[in-house]
Amino acid sequence: MKKLARWLTRFYPRWWRARYGCEFEALIEDSTLTVLDLFGVVRSALEMRMKTTPSPHIVSLASRDIPHGHELESSVEMPQPDGSTMLVRNFCREIDLGDSYVTLNHWSRGAQPAQTVLVFGRKGEVDGDFGTDKTEMLVLGPDGTIQRTEQTVKTWLKYDAIRDGLRDRYRNGMQAGLTPDEIFQRIRSEN
Amino acid sequence: MSDPTLLVLASLAEGDKHGYAMMEDIHHFAGVRLGPGTLYGAITRLEQRGWIRAVKSTEDRRQPYTLTVDGRRHLEEQLSDWNQIVRTGLKRLKHA
Repeated sequence: MKKLARWLTRFYPRWWRARYGCEFEALIEDSTLTVLDLFGVVRSALEMRMKTTPSPHIVSLASRDIPHGHELESSVEMPQPDGSTMLVRNFCREIDLGDSYVTLNHWSRGAQPAQTVLVFGRKGEVDGDFGTDKTEMLVLGPDGTIQRTEQTVKTWLKYDAIRDGLRDRYRNGMQAGLTPDEIFQRIRSEN
Repeated sequence: MSDPTLLVLASLAEGDKHGYAMMEDIHHFAGVRLGPGTLYGAITRLEQRGWIRAVKSTEDRRQPYTLTVDGRRHLEEQLSDWNQIVRTGLKRLKHA
């Protein structure tokens, strides 16, 4: 039965086997299979092969208000095509100083060295849904190097409202006792 | 009601269960025998929608699952819809 379980599990895509393979084999070993069940497994495996990779899994998420701004700290397991997951950690701090702002973004992707980006922006003219900001961006490399870029960027003002809305929904969900994944799924199904 | 995802949710409404226990329970309360492929197809969809989640287990390979808050809400909505259909159907049969 163990051989049959392993053989049947091989019909499924790699991402699926990585997540469910072990428990699925245990179930097959416990069950008395009929011919119909075998067809059911093949059909289910084909269905899974037509699906894309699964959703990211939010391991932790925290959002805090700070003077003139807020912080967001997250770690997310991103599914990879080979069935493995990559941990992405991110820390973001935004400070609004009225006519200017400062954002700090610090993140790491899997085993790659962490990257830090510091942006100072001066809010420019507003035209409809867009603003034109003059920004200075500093990319602080893990080897101690600094790349400096100055540019005028067009910012979408609606983005701020959307992001603030999302942050509020996360906070309300956390207060209601939901896990970050449950909040993520709820937001995704609502949009 | 033979939608495998609803059967799984209804089974987990009683308490956390692993795959084999779900199969047995569903057979017992609904008279439907879900095969392993159908069961795990439903588990995959439900977990991706955030309606169930895996819980820590002392057993090595058998993975138990639990209903999430959203899963419970979805099940309640679905059962309420079914209840309405059943009541309407029975009422109409009486008057037919």
